[in-house]
Parts: sequence; structure tokens; C-alpha cells
Amino acid sequence: MYRSTGFIAFVLRRLTGVALVIYLLLHMWVIGGINGGAETFNERMEFLGKPFFRLLEIGLLAAVVYHGVDGIRLLIGHYFQVTEYRRGLFYAVIVVSGILVIAGGVPILLFALE
Amino acid sequence: MRIFLMQRWSAVALLVFLTLHMVVVHYPPGHIDVSRVLERLDNPLWKAIDIAFLVAVLTHALTGAYMVITDVQRFNVYKRALAWVGVVAGVLLFIYGTQTILAF
Amino acid sequence: MATNGSVPTVTIRIQRFNPDVDKKPYLQEFQVKAPPGKTILDALHEIKEEQDGSVTFRRSCRHAICGSCAMNVNGKHMLVCDAPLREHLDRKGVLTLRPLAYLPIIKDLVVDRSSFWEQYQRVKPWLIPPENIPEKEFRMSPAEVAALRDAEHCIMCGACYSSCQVIALTKQYIGPHALLKAFLRVLDPRDSAPAARLADLDRGDGVYRCHTIFNCIDACPKGLNPTEAIETLRKLVIKRQAFEAARAERQRRLDQPIEVVGEAPALSGGE
Ligand code: HEM
Ligand code: SF4
Ligand code: FES
Repeated sequence: MYRSTGFIAFVLRRLTGVALVIYLLLHMWVIGGINGGAETFNERMEFLGKPFFRLLEIGLLAAVVYHGVDGIRLLIGHYFQVTEYRRGLFYAVIVVSGILVIAGGVPILLFALE
Repeated sequence: MRIFLMQRWSAVALLVFLTLHMVVVHYPPGHIDVSRVLERLDNPLWKAIDIAFLVAVLTHALTGAYMVITDVQRFNVYKRALAWVGVVAGVLLFIYGTQTILAF
Repeated sequence: MATNGSVPTVTIRIQRFNPDVDKKPYLQEFQVKAPPGKTILDALHEIKEEQDGSVTFRRSCRHAICGSCAMNVNGKHMLVCDAPLREHLDRKGVLTLRPLAYLPIIKDLVVDRSSFWEQYQRVKPWLIPPENIPEKEFRMSPAEVAALRDAEHCIMCGACYSSCQVIALTKQYIGPHALLKAFLRVLDPRDSAPAARLADLDRGDGVYRCHTIFNCIDACPKGLNPTEAIETLRKLVIKRQAFEAARAERQRRLDQPIEVVGEAPALSGGE
């Protein structure tokens, strides 16, 4: 295996991408509860309201944020010649994602522990 | 080329929609129940935005999953079949999702 | 590094594999003296001549130009004929030599590069000149030459190919080396078939299989940049008809003095 920042980014991108697809299906099913009436919807929502799922949501947030910010990095790479800064850009993605996850995760954590 | 470009434009669209979605729907984090969603989706503009979001996310997710699978040599022989599975799944999920959005 | 008098001795671990007897590759240790200036290839020769004649590796030019001695040294691909032994030791003072990754091993450090060459053939790596070639020299602007210069330095060593994570997944992908060569031909003002070349890359296993991992840049011993070449090709693939029309226009004055000085994409950026 040829290890590099690019390799780590690729693996993370794949894992988060696949995890998000699985989540998306779950998400659509939960919201789709409305088709069975407001009752079903609230039931399924209630189920996800447990603190355990609240905490999982931080993981979800991390996955979305990392995947999205890394996506921006790739899109930049398509239109600008930035290969020289590939390592720096990867670290920037990590830092920016970290900040966003903390900013979004703390309120979730506070809510979960309420 | 088509799949690659589909994945790019949907990525750009998602960047916009997902940010909007996270800020409007999930922030601040709190208990979401029907009334909160109903209030927002009362506006037809929100319904339209959510349907566009659905199209983008399905395009992105399905092309992405197709990429991940066809990258593996062993599975690449099934790429035609996989593409059709993707199209059918996309249409079905779109119908299901749109039904959900309109139900509110 | 254990010091023996003034010349230190270092440990070299070589990945051995003989398909006739071994089930899977294993590492074997050797000790060699490491005077300044000695290359890893020198050490391999020494081991083969003085310690174990069965150690197998490829080499030819010993001047970093034939590309046959590319292998993995402590996790990095390099040309061992161009790599001073002392500079590449790991923290414990050991050198671990492995064959190029993701390719079938023939014996020890020698790999089967057939898929690499097959993909190379696929891009028609030769120049396709215009039909009515003028009986004069072709003239190219400095910018046009500069755009090709980096891609021209490729020595077909396979380091990029065998570092690419996509190649690890599928040998159907054309590979960074072939795409760099395609870039070289497509951007050459003397080539008359860029649209056909680009059409051939417009496929799932062509230019779109690259996932921008940058390993090819990290691995290339010549400091070339296949990733940037791929990004350029992706843009040209979409507008290949217009590109070919411009090329035909350009070729009507191949033998005339150059006054056009277009901005050429620079292809450096590796370290
Ligand atoms: C913030 C918005 C997003 C952006 C900017 C974005 C960007 C990207 C980009 C540029 C790729 C291409 C990677 C490549 O070719 O190697 C990609 C792949 C992928 N994305 Fe997203 N994405 C976003 C959100 C999502 C979401 C919400 C999902 C899940 C439903 C998702 C699932 C995937 C999958 C499965 C892949 C394929 C993985 C791969 O090719 O490595 N993405 N994304
Ligand atoms: S681009 Fe670099 S690494 Fe790849 S074959 Fe050519 S010289 Fe070797
Ligand atoms: S022996 Fe020719 S490149 Fe090393």
C-alpha cells in the first residue's frame, strides 16, 4: 500500500461517502413515516431521540462535514493547478472540518445531555 | 463522462442544499416533530427546494455508489446491470421521497 | 548503523519470493558496508555477488534513465541506482526493499509489468503527423515546447502506476503513465489526431477513473505530475472537436516562424 496524505483522504472520502449513502436511505425511511400519518412520523422520530442516537449524530455530522470539505478540495483541484500544495490542502481540510464539527457538535452534545 | 459530470454538478448543488438543510432544519438541534416541519413546508418554495435537494442527493449518492463498485475489477463486468439498477433505484427513491415531501 | 572502523555497516532487508518454492514473500536480512556515495543498487550488486547469488532484481543503465530499477524502499518508490544508501535509512538505520506494489511478482524484486505496457500501447504513444508534411522543419513556440517538456521526461519506470490506489483496485484503469503520454501527444502541435486520442480516453476506465489521490506525483522519481496532465485531459476531452479544429489551423503554419505565444500549462509540481 502506498501511503500518503492523498491515500488517507481517498479512504476517508470513500468510507464517509458509503456511510452517508446508507444513512440517506435510513433518513428517507424515517421521514417517510409521514406517509403513515403523523403518528408514525413522531414515533420514528421519538425512537431517534434517544441520547445514543444523538451522539451518533455527531459522527454523522463529522462524516458529512469531512466529505463535503474534501469535496471542495477536489473541485478546486479540477479548476486550479494546486497539486503542488496537495499536502497543505489536505491538512487544511482536516482543520476546517475539525472546526466545523466542533462548532456543530457542541450544541448537539449539550442537547443530548439535557 | 456522464457519470463523472453528474457526480460533480450534484456535488456543487449539494454544497448549497446541504448547508441550507443543516442550518434551517437541524440547527439549533432540538426535538423535531411534525408541527415544526409542517410549518416550514407550508411554503411551496420550500417544497420545490426540497425536491431539488432530493434530486441532487440521489444523483450524487447513486453515481457515487456506482463509482465505488465499478472501481473494483471483479465487479466491473456488471457495470451495465449496475447502471440500470441505479436508474431504477433512483426513480423509485425519487417517487418515494417526493411523496413524502408533498405529504407534509 | 553499526560503525565498523570508519565505514558503518547497515542492515538491508530484501523481500524474497521464489514462486517455485515459496508460498508467500518473506523478508531476508543482509549486512553491507555503507561508505559515502554508495547507492542502493551498488549494495544489491554486492549482496548478489558476495552473499547470495539468488537475489533477483532488474537494472540496466545505472544512470536513472532506463527505469528498470524502480522499487520500493522503506515505503517510497524510487530508482535505486540513483538513491544513495545512507540517505534512505529508516529511523532504526534499516533499509527495506520491496518490489513495486500491486503487480504480480516474478521473483524477489522483479515484477510483471505487462499490464503497464498494455495500457501504454493503448494510447498509441507515437506521433501521428499531418498528412501533407511540409519539406521543412516544424517550428514550435517556446511555450509549446515548455508545455511538453516535463511529460517528455518520463522514463516508463512504472513507479506512478504501482503507487496508484486505483490500479490497486483495477487493472482496467489506463494508468497515470499512459495518461501522461497521451497528454504529451495530445498537446503536441505536430500531432494531427488529438480528437481521436481524447475520444479514446473518454471512458469509464480512461480519464474518469482517476480519483485525484496524488500518489503518482509522490512516487515519480523524475518529479513529473501525471495528476495535472489528467486534469488537463479531462477538460480537453469535453471540447475535443474545437481543440482538433484549432490544431488543424495551427498545423497550416507548422513551417512558419512562430509569432503566437500562447500560455502553456506548466506541468511541474512534484518534489
Ligand atoms: C457537501 C456536499 C458534498 C460534496 C461537495 C461532495 C463531493 C464529492 C465529490 C467531489 C466526490 C467525488 C470523489 C471521487 O471522484 O473520487 C464525491 C463522492 C461521493 N460522494 Fe459526495 N459530496 C457531498 C455530499 C455527499 C452526500 C450527502 C452523500 C451521501 C448521500 C455523498 C456520497 C458520495 C459517495 C458515495 C461518493 C463516491 C465515493 C468515491 O468516489 O470515493 N456525498 N463526493
Ligand atoms: S511518470 Fe514518472 S513515475 Fe510514472 S512512469 Fe514516468 S517517470 Fe516513472
Ligand atoms: S538502472 Fe536504469 S534507471 Fe536505475
